[in-house]
Amino acid sequence: MAVLALEAVTKRFAGLTAVDSVTFAVEEGELVGLIGPNGSGKTTLLNIMSGLLRPDGGRVLLDGADVTGLPANRLARRGLLRMFQLTRLFRQISAFDNLLVVGRALGMDAAEAAERAERLFADLQLAHVRNLDAGQLSGGQQKLLEFGTCFMRPPRVALLDEPFAAVHPTMRQIMADFVRRRHADGQTFVLVSHDMPIVKELCPRAVCMNAGTVIADGPTDRVLADPAVIEAYLGGHAA
Amino acid sequence: MLVLDLAVQGLITGIFYALMAIGLTLVFGILKVVNFAHGEFYMVGAYTYTLVATLLGVPVWLGLPMAILVGALLGYATERALMRPLYAGYVSWGGMKDEYAIIVTFGLSLLLINLVDKVIGPYPYRGPELVEASRVAIGPLMASGHRWATAAIGVVVIAGVVAWLRYSFWGKQIQAVAQNKLGASLAGIDTGRVSAIVFAISGGLAALAGGLLAPLINASPDVGIFAALKSYVIVVIGGMGSVGGAVIASLLLGVFESFAAVYISYDYRDTFAFVFLVLVLLLRPQGLMGERSREV
Amino acid sequence: MGNSETRIRVEFWTSLGLLALVALAPLVVTNLYWQGVLVVCMYFAIQSVGWNLLTGYTGQMSLAPAAFAMVGAYGTGLLSYHLQAPPWIGVPSGVLAAFLIGCVLGRAALALRGPYLALTTLAFAEILRLVISNSYGFTRGDLGLNVPGIFDDRLADYYLMLGALVAVQIGVFLLLRSKYGLFLQAIRDDETAADSRGIPVVFWKTAAFALSAAICGLAGGLYAHFARLISPELGLIMQTGFVISMVVIGGIGTMSGPIIGAFLVYLLSEALREAGGYHLVVFALLVILVARFFRAGLWGLVRALARGALPPAERA
Repeated sequence: MAVLALEAVTKRFAGLTAVDSVTFAVEEGELVGLIGPNGSGKTTLLNIMSGLLRPDGGRVLLDGADVTGLPANRLARRGLLRMFQLTRLFRQISAFDNLLVVGRALGMDAAEAAERAERLFADLQLAHVRNLDAGQLSGGQQKLLEFGTCFMRPPRVALLDEPFAAVHPTMRQIMADFVRRRHADGQTFVLVSHDMPIVKELCPRAVCMNAGTVIADGPTDRVLADPAVIEAYLGGHAA
Repeated sequence: MLVLDLAVQGLITGIFYALMAIGLTLVFGILKVVNFAHGEFYMVGAYTYTLVATLLGVPVWLGLPMAILVGALLGYATERALMRPLYAGYVSWGGMKDEYAIIVTFGLSLLLINLVDKVIGPYPYRGPELVEASRVAIGPLMASGHRWATAAIGVVVIAGVVAWLRYSFWGKQIQAVAQNKLGASLAGIDTGRVSAIVFAISGGLAALAGGLLAPLINASPDVGIFAALKSYVIVVIGGMGSVGGAVIASLLLGVFESFAAVYISYDYRDTFAFVFLVLVLLLRPQGLMGERSREV
Repeated sequence: MGNSETRIRVEFWTSLGLLALVALAPLVVTNLYWQGVLVVCMYFAIQSVGWNLLTGYTGQMSLAPAAFAMVGAYGTGLLSYHLQAPPWIGVPSGVLAAFLIGCVLGRAALALRGPYLALTTLAFAEILRLVISNSYGFTRGDLGLNVPGIFDDRLADYYLMLGALVAVQIGVFLLLRSKYGLFLQAIRDDETAADSRGIPVVFWKTAAFALSAAICGLAGGLYAHFARLISPELGLIMQTGFVISMVVIGGIGTMSGPIIGAFLVYLLSEALREAGGYHLVVFALLVILVARFFRAGLWGLVRALARGALPPAERA
């Protein structure tokens, strides 16, 4: 049974079909890269998967259960966590509290959540800023913290939206290493990224979208060599 | 005929509402925040007209352009002193820019009301009428000369403003900034200037409404509060940011209140506007003609 | 221990210290009039705590606190006027009424943000006020409603109001230092992100509205039995303006700000009233200046000074 499955998911916005009958599944332990040019519908799809948008058609299944239309916080507690491309942190509370609140919301008690937060800070090499208000962190630190919010409790699937975009190479390395380590331990990921080298390096499988539909789905090398994919990036327009 | 009378009275009231609401709509369109001191622009206009007309010994009608001028200056000053931070990357209030705008304009409102209360006095001032004829018939309709005169002025001004917004150089700049501030500034438009102009216009129009209504609703320090509340209702019902919507909503509200006061309940005549507001915000938050914003 | 928790703790204990001073004040302030002034300070302080919980900590801009205080006052006032109900039934009923109406407002306003939300609460507040004002057959409208007192002794009123303020402050403290306090602040800072990270946003937004309304209702209910005469003017937007000024000047989004602000603003306003009445002008100016230049308010000033006085190693 797939951890995350999308069946004919469709979403329209005032005449524009942003996501058009998308179907694919993510198995336990997979690290899937979701690629496609700007405007192809990747972020909309991510928003549907994480419960922030309701699809106009189709279903989303998490561990076999139909979770279509459930509010995002229910999905989070069932183990579907996501990071945002443009960081959405709780700026007026500390970095530590940003992780603490996630742990508590997911059901941990104070001691457990505090301990997990400390460990995440160590893993992400952010311990030195833990007491600063999240709004005071540098852009890269905020990105790392945003990334970290997915991992207070090992999620059933982590949706990462462009974690490596506009980030200092050191921090990219921290995140990439983290992903690699956790993946080796069996963590399931969906990684949205424009960074082809990283996608090639980390993801055994890639799904490519263009104009709201899936145009390629398979081993990354094959997908990246697919003429339709190349056409989409170089020549085609999005919708 | 009662129905016709009520309709005309309602439309005339609607014209005054429109003068109040257009400025507020423009401000919301540009800055995406509500100015809670808007009613005080109205109040200042009412006082200016009344004081100029009664104390300066000049022709009564001169009070109106004076009111517009004072209102415009006040609007401009408000924008420069208090609203600049909203787009200058103001750090202290972080993402809470709505709260900042509300609190700071609330403070301004309190300041103006109490300043006038102390300096001029809390007692209502009666403004002189523009046309001293108490009953003038135009066709089958009867209303006071002042009402006809003010309605005419109101219509001319509203039509003029709407046309100016649509066709003039500055009007187009305003539309551009309202639609896409970042894009407009990238295209070379001075968004700060535009905001200042918009605030000045909103102050001027509200002050004009205050002046026109001064003989009917005596000027007192808190006269603006009620005018403002009605404007907020209209701005939302019309679609925050849509001037056309504000005009239509103003007229509709004026007429509806006119009929409701007679046929439904005179006591609760002021409640209807607020009930309308709540219903509209719940059922159609974008108002009559506004745009639905995408949340995520 | 989280930083939010630490911050809230410090603010809470400071506020209790201030309230201890208020408890001792009657030893020095024996003049009945000024004792009454302090009671009114407490009335505003309770509302300030309630409003700050909703707007300062949960980020929901509300212009209705005074209206909820009015609901609480009329809840107990009408029960006593029509049914001769004793205050120990009347006040909780007023609080309950405010709580339920607050729930309705919260649920209704779920999809609204920023100025839309503020305007809805404004409309709500005005509707409540106009209904009470216009139903003069039932409420005696603008003529005012006489409400019996609970005690004959002003000092007893004083300590009852103080007890309520302390109880509310403790309740809010327990809420805010718990995980729910973090939930509310997360909702304030980014509602969508809070939702995505497992926080039940709908529940807590509604709860914040309801709790805030109930707290304001309590203030109104107790005030009714102290002042013995209430009118719809309790719910005027101007009264809300007072509450907002107090919290902003004191320091919005802190546990000590509302208390500092309420006492300071009202006491100074009374003192200035004797000296010529420009008190409201001064306060409006203060609100503008604080909002424009020093959002952290008086509490922020105190913190900055305290930080400056500590050796560098101690600074958090």
